Amino acid sequence: MTTGLNTPPGVSQKLAATIGLPYTLTTGKAVGSTITALASKRLTGSYCSDCQRTNVPAQDYCVGCGGEMSLIEAADTGTITAATTTPEHTLLLVQIDGASSPLLHRLVGPAEGAVPGVRVRAVWADETKALFLDLEGFEVADSEAAASSPVDTTVDDAMKEMPYRLDLDYQHSYGPYYGRLFDELAHHRRLVGSPCPQCHQVMVPPRERCDVCFARTTRLVEVQDTGTLQAFSIVHLEFVGQTRTPPYVYAEVVLDGSSTRLIHVLGGFEIEKARDLTIGMPVRAVWKDASQAQGTLADIEYFEPVV
Amino acid sequence: MTPHDYVRVGIVSSAQTLLKDAWDDLQHVDLISEAVSEALRGTGLGMSDVDFIINSGSDVLDGRSISNCGFLGAMGAHHKEESRVEEDGLWSLSYAHDKIASGSARVGVVIAYSKPSESSLTAYYSALVEPFYQRPVGLDHASAHGLQAAQYLAVHGVDEKELSVVAARAWERAAANSSVDTPQVPGLDEIATSPSVATPLRALHLSRPRDGAVAVVVASEQVARRSTSNPVWISGYGSSIDSQVLGEREPGSFPAAKAAAQRAYARAGVSDPRTFGIAEVSAGSAAAELMVVEALGLAEPGQGASAYDGAASTVLNPSGGALPADVVMATGLIRLHEAAGQLAGRLDRGAGSASSALVHGAGGLAHQNHCVFTLEV
Repeated sequence: MTTGLNTPPGVSQKLAATIGLPYTLTTGKAVGSTITALASKRLTGSYCSDCQRTNVPAQDYCVGCGGEMSLIEAADTGTITAATTTPEHTLLLVQIDGASSPLLHRLVGPAEGAVPGVRVRAVWADETKALFLDLEGFEVADSEAAASSPVDTTVDDAMKEMPYRLDLDYQHSYGPYYGRLFDELAHHRRLVGSPCPQCHQVMVPPRERCDVCFARTTRLVEVQDTGTLQAFSIVHLEFVGQTRTPPYVYAEVVLDGSSTRLIHVLGGFEIEKARDLTIGMPVRAVWKDASQAQGTLADIEYFEPVV
Repeated sequence: MTPHDYVRVGIVSSAQTLLKDAWDDLQHVDLISEAVSEALRGTGLGMSDVDFIINSGSDVLDGRSISNCGFLGAMGAHHKEESRVEEDGLWSLSYAHDKIASGSARVGVVIAYSKPSESSLTAYYSALVEPFYQRPVGLDHASAHGLQAAQYLAVHGVDEKELSVVAARAWERAAANSSVDTPQVPGLDEIATSPSVATPLRALHLSRPRDGAVAVVVASEQVARRSTSNPVWISGYGSSIDSQVLGEREPGSFPAAKAAAQRAYARAGVSDPRTFGIAEVSAGSAAAELMVVEALGLAEPGQGASAYDGAASTVLNPSGGALPADVVMATGLIRLHEAAGQLAGRLDRGAGSASSALVHGAGGLAHQNHCVFTLEV
C-alpha cells in the first residue's frame, strides 16, 4: 500500500448535500394576533403601561421592563427613519405614528425620495397568505394621514402556528483523507484506514490525527471488506434523511485490519431472520455492480452475515 | 472567593491556518488539527497535559448537528471535558478563562473555525433573523449592515467616502499579513466604485468571508510561565448583547460594545483605552468598524476615522482586521491570536513593540453581540 495522499484526477472532491428542516412555529399571542389582523388591513401594536412604550408590530413582552404588554390597534402611517436599497428591494425602518421604536419593512414604489423624514403609509397585499407580508410594505404618502389613537383590540381567531421550512445547501469538501478513501472505493473497490503510530489502532475513515492519543498518522493501510458485527438495531421508524425504507438493520462493523466501527446496514436475508443476528458474528461486504460505483461507502450495498 | 484568589490566566501560544477564500481540498477537521498542532508546538505541552477543550463553530455553517461531536479527534478532545459555544471564539475564551481563573483547570485549548465556502452565508444569516416579522421582509446580513451604516452616516453627518477609506486601509494592511490569502488588493477607487449591495454599502465595504481555523492555548500563571518565556496575560474581559430587533437598537452607535468594553476595562483597571498599544477589532462592514472603534473609546462618537490616524496612540488593526478576512465564528479569536502574537513577539505586523492590547469580537446579525478582551505582557 502506498503512503502518498495525492488524489487521482477526475474524482469529485466535494459532496453536495441539502438539509431540509420542516418546522411548525408557534406564534404566541402577539404575533398570531398581529398577522391575523393584517388580513383585515389592520396593524397591531402592543403597549406597556409601566414604561409607556408602544411596540409596532406587537410583542408579548416589553423590551424595557419584561412586563406583559396589551394589544392595541396601531396607526398605518409613519415616518421613515432609515432606508437601504439592495438589488432586490428597499428596506425601511418606519417610525409608526405613536410607536416608541421603528418597524422594519419593505418600500413599495421607487427608492428615489424614500429618505429619512418622509411620510409613508401601509400598502396591503391583494392576496393574504397569513404572513407578515400580508402587509406588503409602505409607500410614500402624498398627503398627511392622521394617526389613529390606540384602542384595545382583540382578534378572536388569531393564528397559533405557522408552517415554515428552512432548506440549506452545502458543498462538503472531502479533504485528502476521505478523498483517498473514496478514490480507493471508486477505482479499486478497496477500503483504507490510517494506523496510529503510537497506540496502533487503525482508523476508518482515515484521518490526520489519532482520535484517542492525538498522534499524527503517517500512512494508509488497506483493510478488509470482511469484519465483525459489533452492534446492530432493527429500524422500524421513518425519519428525515433516511436512505432505506424501514424495516432494515442498522449495523456497526469492525472491518478486519481496523479498530473503529464502520456504520452501515446488514442485508441479504429476510427481515424476520434479523432475530438470529448475534454480536460478534462475522460479516462481509456485498458490493453494488461496478457500473453503479460512485466512490462512496454506499458502493457497498450492505454487509451480510457469513454463514 | 475574592478577586485576589483568582488564578492569573496566560496565553501560552496560538496559531491559525491561512485564511483563504475556499479551502476546497481540506475538511474542517484538517483545518482544526493543523491549528491545534501548531498552537501546541514548542510549548512542551502535549495533548495529555490539556484539561479541557472549548470550541466555537456553527452547526448551520457546518451542515451537521452538534458538529463538534464529529470533530473531537481533530481537537484532541478524546475523554476530555469538551464544550461547544455557538458564538465567536472569544466567548469560548471567556469560559476557558473562568475555568482556569477559578482553579478548576490548569490548561485549556480554545478553538474556533468555519468554512463558509461550503454553505450559503446568506442562508446562515437569514437563519439568525426572527422568523415572523423580520425574515419574511428579507432582512439579511447585507441589508442589516446597510441600515446600520445609513443610520451611522446620518446621525453623525459622516461622509460616505470615509467607508471606502476605512476599507482601503484594512486591505492595505491585510496585504502585508501573510496569514491572509490576498491575491488582489482593491484600492480606494475600486472599493468606492464596487457594486452597491445595500446602500450606502458597496460590496467591498462588507467583510469578506474566508475559511480558516484558529487555536489558542491558555494556562494558569504557573503553567504559562513554565511553557513559554513570553506569556501574555488576560487582564480583563466583558461581553454584552443588544436587542435582536434592529429597530430597538440605538441608531449610529453600539452601546452593547461600549458596555462590554467598560466591563473589561474595569477588570483590567484601565481608565483610558487609548493607552493600549494595539487594538484588533471585528466588523461586518466598514461602518460597523467605525462604530466599534467609537464604542471602545478609541475615538469620539462620529470621529472613528481619527483612530486610523498615524498619530493615534493605539495602533488599530495592524493585521488588517476583519474586513478582508471574516472567518464567521472565528474572527474575534483570530483578532486575539493576532494581538497576543504581537505582544509576545511571535508576529510582526509593523505595529512596533507594545505591552498591552485590546481585542474585540462580535456575533449575531449586524453585531447584536459584543465581546472585549484586554491583554498585557
